[in-house]
Amino acid sequence: MMATRLAREVYVIGVGMHRFNNERLAAAAMADVAGMQALEDAGIGFPEVGALYNGYLGGGLTSGVGIAKEFGLTGIPVTHVENASATGSCAFGEAVHAVAGGRVDVAMALGFDDMNRMGGLGRGRGRHMGAEDVMLPAAFFAMWATRRMHDVGTTAETFAAIAAKNWNHARSNPLAQRRADHEVTIDEVLESTMISYPHTSMMACAAGGGAAAAIVATRQVAERLTAGRPLVRVIASQQRSETYTDGHVFLGAVIGPAQMTRDTAGDAYEQAGVGPDDLDLVQVHDAFPVEELVYYELLGICGDGEGDRLVAEGATGLGGRIPFSTDGGLTARGHPGGPTGLAQIHETTLQLRHEAGSRQVARARTGLCHMAGAGSVCVVHILQRTEG
Amino acid sequence: MGAMQVPADPRLFRLADGAESRPRLLGSHAPESNLYFWPRRLRCPVSRTPVTDVDLCPEGVLYAWTFLFVPRMGSISFGDSGGYGVGQIDLPEGVRVQAPLLGTTDDWQIGSPMGLTTFPVGRDDDGNDLVTFRFEAVR
Repeated sequence: MMATRLAREVYVIGVGMHRFNNERLAAAAMADVAGMQALEDAGIGFPEVGALYNGYLGGGLTSGVGIAKEFGLTGIPVTHVENASATGSCAFGEAVHAVAGGRVDVAMALGFDDMNRMGGLGRGRGRHMGAEDVMLPAAFFAMWATRRMHDVGTTAETFAAIAAKNWNHARSNPLAQRRADHEVTIDEVLESTMISYPHTSMMACAAGGGAAAAIVATRQVAERLTAGRPLVRVIASQQRSETYTDGHVFLGAVIGPAQMTRDTAGDAYEQAGVGPDDLDLVQVHDAFPVEELVYYELLGICGDGEGDRLVAEGATGLGGRIPFSTDGGLTARGHPGGPTGLAQIHETTLQLRHEAGSRQVARARTGLCHMAGAGSVCVVHILQRTEG
Repeated sequence: MGAMQVPADPRLFRLADGAESRPRLLGSHAPESNLYFWPRRLRCPVSRTPVTDVDLCPEGVLYAWTFLFVPRMGSISFGDSGGYGVGQIDLPEGVRVQAPLLGTTDDWQIGSPMGLTTFPVGRDDDGNDLVTFRFEAVR
């Protein structure tokens, strides 16, 4: 697919987030916190927002418009977006394209959910007990892992090292669901409960609740609101579903072929006019560490089969050559569903503004956010700092 | 006379027929692209040309596997087994099938031959034995 530049420049002017958690808080209340924070961060009131895209998997049919009523009855279009784990990323993409395409000058994406209240894959199908019933995400990604161990010689220690890195990144993120009170070790990760060989419980993403929001606008609006503050521009917004690949799995494939990430990233690099060497930090769908490892390669950060070496060198940790999952990722920041992709935008925006505190990536200028979603969804956004 | 066996999902597989030793997965073949698919497709997703119904080979090669210890999202009881295996099996037609595995972790090695079999999962309202499909290592 040809990836042309966005028709109008689009900037992130505000972000907000409710801490991800496992406390079964009301999703609407968390959404209100994230949305109001984003408005405050942008320095605007809700009447300036021209369109709202709500991303959620659980909740009732009208949850999104119900929450919008708390922000104000302004009459704007309010749209529900759902694309599994990539829901928040897709809501953000819709907001970006609403501004880029000229529909509105300011758009808001809001994600909220509680994974603990959802049915999810494998639940309630009863008697069939076929591939879709038993092929849970844990099993699906574990098979990526065992095949990689066979092909490349990856060890369980490498998977544990990635998970430990992300747990330790989250220690400096007050919005993360999992915040260890000590430096998490590889041994600790390996010794936690085995879920699906070779993945242990500390390698699995933290399912819970939370909310996150981002507001995007035209350059004209961004310059008016952020005087003296660095601007964060969205230089790529790309989304794909799957194409046919050798060994294509149609039933129980959870997220579709890995090739989708390479294709979507290729589109995003082309649209942005940058390459993997230009990136300063990356957020990915690290539901299990094998994913992050494979994405090093599919995003072009290193060659095929070289991801293990990056881990051994510490290249993808804070302070390394190209930090991944700087806020703890799905592993430790958490994965509530709808807001997860927007949490990536929140983190990347803070990093590019140089407001990320003790986990700040030095001189961060360009960041990539990647999400995969069940069914067959892949979304890549690239954000870049420009001086206001 | 024992209860009759019935496929839990007759859209996906059928029981062994007559002299056949194994059940069959129900697939599609697209003559124009010469691609095979499982489960059945309405048309070839690559060439968008018509497909015909075919029974797929009941033996293949293990591409990947895992053993699932925690059924968190599922409703399947582990019973006394403590978990279950799942795998991806490459059939000679070029189809990769994901399915539960019979056996233990010692039985499964990537690249080893696997065969389709059935597994009881309960009874229907008429008292028939419902079965679903699994793959097992071929000795």
